[in-house]
This record gives sequence, structure tokens and C-alpha cells, in this order.
Amino acid sequence: MGYVLGVDVGGTFTDAVGIDADGRILSAKTPSTPPDYSTGVLTAIDLLAEQVGISRRELLAATDHIAHGTTASLNALVMGRVPPVGFITTRGHRDSIYIMNVEGRYLGRPSHELQNVMGQRKPPDMVPRHLAREVTERIDRAGEVLVRLDEDEARRVVRECLAGGATAIAVSLLWSFRNDRHERRLREIIAEEAPGLYVALSSEVSPRIREFARHATTIMSTQIGPGLAAYLGALEASLRDDGLRGPLLVMQSSGGAVTAAEAPACAINTIGSVLTGGVVGAQQLAAQLGHSNVMATDVGGTTFLAGLIVDGEPVRAQQTVINQAPVNVPTLKVEAIGSGGGAIAWLDAGRNLRIGPHSAQAVPGPACYGSGGEEPTITDANLVLGILPASGLLGGRRPLDLELARRAIESRIATPLGLSVEAAAAAIHAAQNAQTGDLLRKVVVECGHDPREFVVYAFGGAGPAHCAAYAREVGAREVVVPLGPVASAFSAYGLAASDVVVTRELSDPLTHPCDPARVERNFARLEADVSAALARQGLRLAAVELHREVDMRYGMQVGEVTTPVAGGALDAAALEAAAAEFERLYARLYGEGAGFREAGMHLLTFRVRGVGRLPVTPGLPPIAAAPNADPNAALLGRRPVCLDLRRGYVDTPVYDYARLRAGHRLDGPAIIQVPTTTVVVPDGVRATVDALGNLRIVQH
Amino acid sequence: MHFAIPGSEIFNSRPVDPTALARSLPSALRVHTVTPEQVAALDPLTYEVVRHRLWSITDEMGETLRRMSGSPIVTESNDFDFTLNDEVGQEVQIGLYNTMLAGAVDLAIYWTLQHRADNPGIEDGDMFLCNDPWVGGGLHQSDAVVFAPLFHEGRLFAWTSAICHQPDLGGSAPGSMPLAAPDVFSESLPTPPIKVVRKLELQRDVADMWVRRSRVPLLVGLDLRAKVGANAVGRRRLLALIEQYGADTVKAVMKRMMDDAEQRLRDKLRGAPDGTWRATGWQDQAQLGDRATHKLELAMTKADDRLTFDFSGTDPQAGVISCTYAGSRGGIMLALLPTLAGDIPWSAGGLMRCFDIVTPEGTLNNASFPSAISKAPIATAWLIGNLAAQCLSQMLDRAVDSQASVQASCCGTWNTAVIAGLDQRAAQPAPFLSVVMDSMAGGYGARPQADGIDTGGLFCIPMGKAPDVELTEMLYPLLVLWRREEPDSGGAGRQRGGVSASVAMTPHGTALPSALVLSSAGMATAQNQGLAGGAPGNLACNLAVRGSALSALMADGRLPDTLGECGGEVEVEQCFSGGVLAPGDVLYLHCQGGGGYGDPLQRDARRVAEDLASGRVSARAARELYGVVLNGEGLLDDAATAGARDALRAARREGARLPCAFTHTHVTRTLAQPLDGNLAQGVLADGTTRVACRHCGTRLEDDDGRLALARRDAPPAAAGPIVRIDPATFIDAPVVFREYFCPGCFARVHCGLLPAAHEDVVAGLRVAPLA
Repeated sequence: MGYVLGVDVGGTFTDAVGIDADGRILSAKTPSTPPDYSTGVLTAIDLLAEQVGISRRELLAATDHIAHGTTASLNALVMGRVPPVGFITTRGHRDSIYIMNVEGRYLGRPSHELQNVMGQRKPPDMVPRHLAREVTERIDRAGEVLVRLDEDEARRVVRECLAGGATAIAVSLLWSFRNDRHERRLREIIAEEAPGLYVALSSEVSPRIREFARHATTIMSTQIGPGLAAYLGALEASLRDDGLRGPLLVMQSSGGAVTAAEAPACAINTIGSVLTGGVVGAQQLAAQLGHSNVMATDVGGTTFLAGLIVDGEPVRAQQTVINQAPVNVPTLKVEAIGSGGGAIAWLDAGRNLRIGPHSAQAVPGPACYGSGGEEPTITDANLVLGILPASGLLGGRRPLDLELARRAIESRIATPLGLSVEAAAAAIHAAQNAQTGDLLRKVVVECGHDPREFVVYAFGGAGPAHCAAYAREVGAREVVVPLGPVASAFSAYGLAASDVVVTRELSDPLTHPCDPARVERNFARLEADVSAALARQGLRLAAVELHREVDMRYGMQVGEVTTPVAGGALDAAALEAAAAEFERLYARLYGEGAGFREAGMHLLTFRVRGVGRLPVTPGLPPIAAAPNADPNAALLGRRPVCLDLRRGYVDTPVYDYARLRAGHRLDGPAIIQVPTTTVVVPDGVRATVDALGNLRIVQH
Repeated sequence: MHFAIPGSEIFNSRPVDPTALARSLPSALRVHTVTPEQVAALDPLTYEVVRHRLWSITDEMGETLRRMSGSPIVTESNDFDFTLNDEVGQEVQIGLYNTMLAGAVDLAIYWTLQHRADNPGIEDGDMFLCNDPWVGGGLHQSDAVVFAPLFHEGRLFAWTSAICHQPDLGGSAPGSMPLAAPDVFSESLPTPPIKVVRKLELQRDVADMWVRRSRVPLLVGLDLRAKVGANAVGRRRLLALIEQYGADTVKAVMKRMMDDAEQRLRDKLRGAPDGTWRATGWQDQAQLGDRATHKLELAMTKADDRLTFDFSGTDPQAGVISCTYAGSRGGIMLALLPTLAGDIPWSAGGLMRCFDIVTPEGTLNNASFPSAISKAPIATAWLIGNLAAQCLSQMLDRAVDSQASVQASCCGTWNTAVIAGLDQRAAQPAPFLSVVMDSMAGGYGARPQADGIDTGGLFCIPMGKAPDVELTEMLYPLLVLWRREEPDSGGAGRQRGGVSASVAMTPHGTALPSALVLSSAGMATAQNQGLAGGAPGNLACNLAVRGSALSALMADGRLPDTLGECGGEVEVEQCFSGGVLAPGDVLYLHCQGGGGYGDPLQRDARRVAEDLASGRVSARAARELYGVVLNGEGLLDDAATAGARDALRAARREGARLPCAFTHTHVTRTLAQPLDGNLAQGVLADGTTRVACRHCGTRLEDDDGRLALARRDAPPAAAGPIVRIDPATFIDAPVVFREYFCPGCFARVHCGLLPAAHEDVVAGLRVAPLA
């Protein structure tokens, strides 16, 4: 067995991680290279090769597979940089994508924007109106054809779309998930009119009830599919030229990968893959550390992301929101709950202190970066408080200007409030911690769990300065700061370590109790599809698991709950067991007695998730053990640090992470400097370095 | 004139002086409060941390209610809300859902403190249930509120509440909104606050009494539990917060949140010009069979940092459309929250200190018991919201920095349609009742710098949602032929109003006629007014096709795009209408779009061409309302457009009557301070300032402070495609399309589609008599 590579292409940086047969881990970071991201990918691979003193060709020849994640498709959608596509739907219902169920005005907006009705708009038209067309056809909820497809008209409509500049076509008809005959016929007609044109059918991309989300999903998939195919095709060709024999895999937002050749047909499934990489990495680490419930928090300069792992499995969602539209993508639930270290502290019109949601972004960045930022940020407050070293970040490569930080806090916060600069900075730091606790709690509670049963994992450059405090606010029992060899490329590590996942679903609304044979047919069809898709990947899989699930709801209630269904022969008793499981999950999510069973239970969408286990089990390697618990050998020095307004500045030891060893114990207050981040161990809290080099923080 | 029944006036709740209320309580009810010094002593950190926590607590209450509720009205359309109140009931934090309810919840708590404190007492672990719109809590009896006192160490510390619309609470008609109720006794019985929970335990006798009145007892029982659950969540988390920060600190933050909201609203008001703005609105038909239109008058006066909403001149209560005092207050909040408080935290208790309401009793907007009031929230209260928004917008339009909050009126009512029958699609037929939710897809009003939001929804439920067509067809035996944005439904203007959607549906899966109940408004006169010369959005329009040839058409491979293609007879439905929807019939509902802003002849012709290409404006409207002409290739013809616009202006000049005092004086310059998109203060040669036309400099204000404007009255059809059905179909009073122009350049500065007797006020100024 050779190397497994994970490559994570972000908007700013491309991270790569390589794991060799002995579990040794390499990592590299290089700037991303838009518009052709493959240049950065190859550079990152070169950097890995350099570390073991071999050529790119030698590394690739020895590579079992490459797992690749990219935000390029999502960025293209969000920025509106997508080619013109056509949209064909049922007569009378084209405007679904413009009406957006009315909620397109506010869907997915952060909570502070929801009350500002006057500031809301719908997004620009998803498809230009001249390319959004109707054809005469109608199928009803039973799947019965009420009006046959008018093929002459359809052909005319296709020609007009092409003449109007459509470079690909999305087809999404009412009730197509019940009967896909008209959609398939439309694809044939399009193929006759424009051979080779990229076409997506909603019955294949998202066979799920609720037409607006299905339209939006199919359209967005069509908008990014051809570009993804071109990019992956070129990347794979150049990797093959350079000697790669194993497969190139692409990460999906479901937390598993598919081969590059399979990905473009359902391109929408690859969006958000970088966000999920971090959660998958956390899942791997949690398995190694024996943590079953984890809040994975990833705090960067501009975003604060939170994902959950419950009973060892990431919490999944069946839908996400892009450009204020619901999109059906099986995904790991990752929520953006804040604005990271660049979050701006400001005074509102009532002269009340507020933190975020606006961020100083990468440019100009916090005031202390000296790049022209004048507004005080969390980072500026942390510098003033002594949490961040005056010598700068990234081992001094990012110098910080304490005077600029002080000036920003003084002019915008301290002077108007009549506070000292230090007191204002302490208030900013503490308010950020408390609010993060509130928002994290919301994420956990809304998934139906108790925060006290969770361990917080803190990733990213800006998280570890706050994690002990926000974990305390939310009531979590322990904090883990992963600081081993892949700390700075955790998402890429997650990619390298992930399995292959193929998901297929179909809506078939039924009322419980229903015919077990029909349910069995649904699952059998999905399992056949999933097995075939897994086989098509051409991978050597150690094991294949098929998971059945069904989205259920009570008759008149809004909450749909994804309910697992046992494999094997399906009879009335098995369905009854599934219904009981739905009721149990519903009660956990919404509270005991919340379910209105008198209105009946509906089975809506059936789903099979196929997991192909790759024959790699990368675990983080152990680090050297310390002779005893005393970390004095790693002491860099001491500096006054203020972590609590009431105690003021306290002379605090600062440790060098590079010199810490497994078993070292640090009692707060203490600061640990890592090249990529700074960890705060507050008073009353104890941190220990575990065998893998992670910091484990618990209350005394 | 209506007179209150003796003994009923005790149930009329009004805003109170919180200090006096606290003093009036029996000594056995000890109340927790803090001094102004404690509020002032709060440090910024504690304030921000606790404020944010209180927000997250109320958010969790709302989420609990939404998830536990069984009403599609709650779960799909978000017609509910929740509050956190201080010890005397002032609203500290409200939810973002049905914003009208904010004007009613505190009234119920004041009343409870006044009338329940000594008997049966207000104790820890109690929760009260109320659906009496005179007492407050909701705007009609279908709004049922559960509110709970929170005690800490034996002192009344705060209140929480949860409220939502119930699908049926009894009365003579399913849905509890009978179309011709002579009085409240045909509707759901109003229930003043009654203890439904004691010692944190649901009282079975009270709960049974409550569900027994409903045609859907299971759903009502579930919602009752949802509201109790939401209050329980609020209680648990508030007590934990008090535990962590101390009662005095938490209370000080609550008080300061309201003080802060009040202060910021006062600051904002102080920055706006003083003056009085007037708006008059009309409710077409008060009940089934009525052929009148009913007048609501609002004069909003802003003096320094205070607003007064005066409803004097409003018609007497009538039919089922009147609202109680709570409805007036809720209507004002509907407008005030988004217009003035988009950037101020919704500590409604503080915001409501900034205005007074003046209203006679026994009127449409302050109905006396036992007036029928079941349609209040979607009739008069909503109209009050639109009128208040008009007045506020005209005030804010006078300052450039507040123009971002100026918006012409949005859709002016909920276009109610209820279909009930037998679903025969399954082996076992089952009764169904469908409240058509597609009426969510109204249009938003235009702004000085932006078009209105197309199918932006309803202004009073900022987070409303329309269901997917597939969900409708899954749940009910209906087939939706189309749901689409209707061209020309947004009011024409320099900025166009947002278009609204229509829906057409036919029974599918039931062989029996279904019962059909329709209840709407704004079919003869426009509730969705434009601003600054912009036209109103479309009149609401409900049609039914009887005995269509649909099944033959569909079998033949055809799907109709229009009602005309369906075959059969098209029947115009009145605002109030009860009947059947038989197999083969088609029901067509079209709710209201938003009003426009400014003169449509001043709209950038390229944008009209874009609207035409995208189907938001028809060729006819482009030509007749906007004066925009396209050439044979469908491209903008600049020369022909200029000619068409000149011709339309010339027609205005010829068709309009001039004001008697008009003298063609021009101002030397206009001042920076505008009144709106057309009007500004201008300086005359002698140095005096008078209102003038911003476009041509013509002096418009006469020496008596009136606007000397040209006026043209035309039949309703002259308004263009916004009028599809002759208003005479609905009301007896003649309706006109009335336009006011600058007599110099004939820019349109005001327009309306209203009863001929309507008295106009333009940008807050009276209009001079015509020659």
C-alpha cells in the first residue's frame, strides 16, 4: 500500500495532506490559483513530494488514491459566475423559481437581517426568463399521466432555449419523481436537437417532493456540472500524465467521495465539500479519542462554523440554502454561526456594544494588521489583552501592531463608553465568548440534544483563543484542540481519511401503515442503483454498507425526520418498528408529546446511503511522551494577560507548543503559542497534552 | 351609532402607566423591579451578554411553538408569535412572525394584573389562556394566547407569552369566521383570561372546555400544549439566567432594552420633520351581501419625538370587518416595526411608548361589544397598517437619509379561500379542509430607489411562506393548473410595485362538490396605494369557472393558460362569497400586488422594456401607462417612446381640470429638502418659500398652504390592467381613477383608485379647489 492524498482547494489556500502506509502524515499549504485551480493542486502535491525527497511523478506513482475537495463550484454559484442554462418545466408552473414560495426574500439570511424587512430583496433570477420555459404535460400525485407530453412543442422550446444561448438544460417537471417518463423523453428530444449537451433531470438529480427545491437543485447542478466536468477532466488527465494510476475522488457534501468521472452528473452534491472535510476529520479523530458526541467548531478569520457528531456519526441534513433558495443535497449539517476573528466590535445607535456579524474580511483585516482596517475586531481585542503575542502571528510572518489595535478600540468603543482601552477589550472578548455559547447552544438544542453531553473540538486559527470560554458558556464538559501534525490542514486530512459514499433517494408519499411490498420495492430499486454506482467507481473497497432511511412526518406538522430503516426483508412489523423509531426521534427533537399522531404519519422520501470503506484507516500518530507532567521545558516566557475583567492583567506563563510533549499538564491561566494559532487556558481550567499531541482542556 | 352594552366595558383593555399599575396591585402580589439607578449602572459587557441571552431564550420559545404546533397556519405560514414581558407586562422582546400581535399581547397582561390579581390570584406556576380581542392577546378570537407569570423568590419577575391562530374555535361556521355574523355570538366566544395551568400542571377541566368548542379539538389541544410548552421553555431558561446573573441584573437589562429601543425611536423621530399626514382607506363590503365601502381615516401627527395616530372620522363599526382597540394598535405596529425599527431591536414595550392612539368608540377601528370582529386582522387592522405605512413613508420621504425606509403600500389583505369536502383518492374516503395558502404571494410596494419585491409576500408576516404546489396536491384532492406572477399587477410608477401571483385550481380526486368560502377585500377600491404619483397595485380578483371543459381538453393533450380557454361560464366572486366548487369547476384567486412610486412616465424606458421582456408588464401597459414603444424586433424605440410620452402628457393637459388659484409662478430655486419624489420647498423671487414641483420649478402651494394641482377623474378602466372587473360589480358608490398633476409640467404627483367622494391629501397637504 502506498500514499493516500487529500487535497482541499479553498478560496484562499490549497491544503494537501499525504498519509503513507505507516500512518506517517505530511501536510502542505499553498495559495489557491483561480481560475485554474489545478495549478495550485499540483503545487501542493509537489510540496508533499519535496518533504519526502521524491518527485511528483514518484509520489503519484506510489499513490493509491487522491481525494479532492473544492469550493470552486459553490463560489461560482454564490458569485453568479455560471454559464446560461435553460430550464424546462410543466405548463403553468415556470414561475415557481421566481415566486420562490415567497420565502426567497429572507431564506437563509442571518437572524439579525430577518427583522430588517426593508433591507431584503429576492436574489437575481435563477434563470433568465427567456430561458425558463414551459411544456404542455401533466402528471398527478399518483404518477398518472393526465396530459401527455406535447413533443412538437417540446422540440420547439428546446430549440428556442438553444437559440437563446443555453449551454446546458435543466428539466424539472411536476411529480416527475413519481413518473419520470416525460423527463426522460425530453432528454431524448434534447439529445436529438443538441447531441452531447449537458442535461440534468430532476428525477435523477433530486427525486424528492416539493417542486421548488427540486427545480432549484436541478438548475444549480446544471449550472456547475459542465464546468466541473471540464476542470476534473483536465486535472485527472494531467495527474495521469504524471503517473497517477489510482482513482481521483471528489468529496461530496454528504461527507463521502465519488470518482471524478461520476461527480459531474450530479454536480450539486460536490458543493460545500470543504466545509464537510473538517467534520469528517473531526469524526475520525473522535473515533480515535473515543468521543461519541462532539461539537466541531472551526473559527477562521471571517467565519465561525459549527458541525455536530452524535453517537460517532455526523449530524446530517437533507437540504441546504444557496442564494436564498432551498437546495436538496444530502449534507453534513454545518452551520455558519458567526464571523470569526475578524468580527467587528461596534456601538449601535443606542451606544450598546455589539460584536459582528460584520467582519473585517481578509482585506483590510483587523486594525492590528496595519492594512488600513480602522474598526476594532476580536483579534485586536485579543492583542490588547495580551492573548496574542505582540511579536505577531504565524511565527512572526504576520506582524501585529498593538498601537493600531489600541487606537481602534479606544476611538470606537472605549472613549464613547467611558471605559479604559483594556476594559473595552475585555468586554469585547467576553461578549464574543458568551454569544458564541448562545449560538452553539441553539445549534445543539435544535438538533434535539443536550450540550452538556458534548465535547467541543476547536479548529481554525481564531478558535482556540476562545474555546475554553465558549465551551463553559454552553456547558460542554471538555474541549479538545487538535494540534497534531495536521492541525493546520484538518479539512484535507478529513478528505484523505473519508470513505466513498453514494446516496440515492426517491419520494413516494405514503401514509402509515402502508404496503410493505411497495416500500421494499422502493428500497430494492435504490439499493440496486447505489450498488451499481459504487461498482462504477472502480475502487478496491474493503467493505460496502447500505443504509436505508425514510423521511417521515406527522400529518399536519412541519418537521420531517430522517428515520433509519433496518435492512433485510421488509414486513409490516419492520414498518411498525420504523414508525416507532420515527416517533422516538421526533420526541427527542421536538419534545415529549409534541407529535400529533392523530393526524397520521406520512412516509415521504426513501433514501439509501451506500458507504464504500476504503482500505485505509489513517489514525493520527502518537507524539513523544514527556518525562513528567511539568511543562516548564516548553516555557517561552511570561506576559501580562487579561482574561477576566474583574481580575485584570495577570502575569501569565506562555508555552511553546513545539516543545510540549504527551503528558504535559498546564494549569490556567496559561497561553500556548502554536505557529498557526494561540490557545487560551483560563484560570480554573487544566489542559493536558494527550498522546496524539492534542490539548485536552477540562474544568478543574 | 353603536353603544357598548353595560357591563362589557370592563373588558376593554388599554395601555397603562406601568408605575401606577404596579402600585395598584394587592400587597399579597409582590413584584420585582429595579431602580433607574440600577439600570444606569449596568456595564456594557453584562448588558450585551444578557441581552443576547434573552434574545436566544425567546427564539427558543418560538422554535418550540412552531415545532409542536399542528396548525398549518403556524407550521407553514408562520402566523404566530411570542413575547417576553417585564413584571407589569411591557414587551421586552417579541418574535419576528405575525407582527400585528405585538400590539395586543401586553394589553392582555395589563388586564390580567388589573382583574385577576386578587381573585383568583396570580401565582408561580400559573398560565392564563385568552382569546378575547377586547381584553387583548390577539386581534380576533381565532388568535389564542397563553401567557405565564414568572416568579423569582416569591416576587412576580416577568411574563412570557405564546400565541397562534387556531383553525377553528367554534361559532356558526367552520373556521370561526362566518361571513354574515350579526354579532360576536355567531362567532367564536371571546374568553377572557382563564387559568389553564396551575402549579405547572395543565388543568383538565379548563383544557376540555377549550377544545370542546372547536370543530378540530385534536388540533386545538395540540396547539394548547405547544403554547404551554413554549412558556415552559421560557420559564426554565429565564430562571437559569437569573441564577447566573442575579434577578436585579437580568431585570435591569430588560428595562434597558425597552429604554434603549424607546430612545432610539425617539431620536429617529426627532430627526424627522414635524407635521400631520393623512391617509384614507376603504373596506369594500362589510359582510356577505353588503354593497357599501367603509371608510377608515387616519391622521398621523409627528411632534418632536412623538407620534399620534388619530382615527377620528372613521366610519361606524359594520359587519364582520371591525377590529377592537388591540387591532388598531396591532395595525400600527405592523407598519411601525419594519418602517421605523428595522435597525432597532424589537423591544416593543419601549417602541410603543412613542405613540398615542386617538379613537372614538363604536367605530370600524375600535368596535364595541358585541360587534362581530372575526375578520378584524385581515380587514381593518391590516388596512390600518397600510394607512400607517403610507403616513410614515410620506414623513420619511422628506429626508434623504430616511428614504431607504419609504415604501408604497403592499398587498392590503389576506385573500381567504377555504375548500372543504370529501377526499376520495384513498380506498377510505376522508373529509378534508384546505385553507388556500397561495394567497401569501402578494406584491411589495415600490421604494423611491427600487422596484417593489415581486411576490415578496405579506408585510404583516415578514417570514410568511407559500406551500409548494406538490404539497397542496398531496394533501388535498386538488389540481393546480397554474401558479404564476401576473403581469401588470404591480402598480405603475417610476419604480414599479411588486407583482402578485394568481393561482388556478380544480378538484381532482373528489366526485362530490366541495364547500367553498371566499372572504377578501380591495376588489372595488385599491388598498395597495402608490406613493408620489405611483399607481396602486391590482385590485384583488376571484373568479370561478363553472362547468369547464377541462377533462376533455386534458384528454386531448391541452392545458389551458387562461380561464377563457377552460370553456364553461366565468363567474365573478364577491368579496364575501359562499358556495360550492364542483368537479370540473376552476377556482381562480389573484391577490394584490404592491403600489408604485413616482410618475410612470418618468420610468427609465429601458427598464420598462426589460419588464416587458420578462413578463412583468404587458405590451398594453407599457404603451398606455408608461408610454414605451418597442420596434418590430422587440427593441426599445427611443424616438417613438419620447413621442408617446409627450402624447400622454398632452392628454393629461387636455383631460385635467386646473386649480383655481394657479398662476404659473416659478421658484428661483428648490431647496434640498424634498417632500417626496415630485415636491420640494422652493424659494420665490420675494424670498418666501413655497412647495414647488421638483421637475419644472412651478410653484404649487397657494397662500393658504394648499396644493394647487391639476386633477383628472376617469372611469376605473382608465387605470389600466389593474382593474379587471368593474368596481360597480361590488359596491354601489361610484369609483374613480383620480390623478393629480403638476399644472406646469403635468408630472403625476398623486393618484388613487377610490370612491369618488374620497378626499385627497397629497404628501400631507390639502388640495386647493379646482377652477
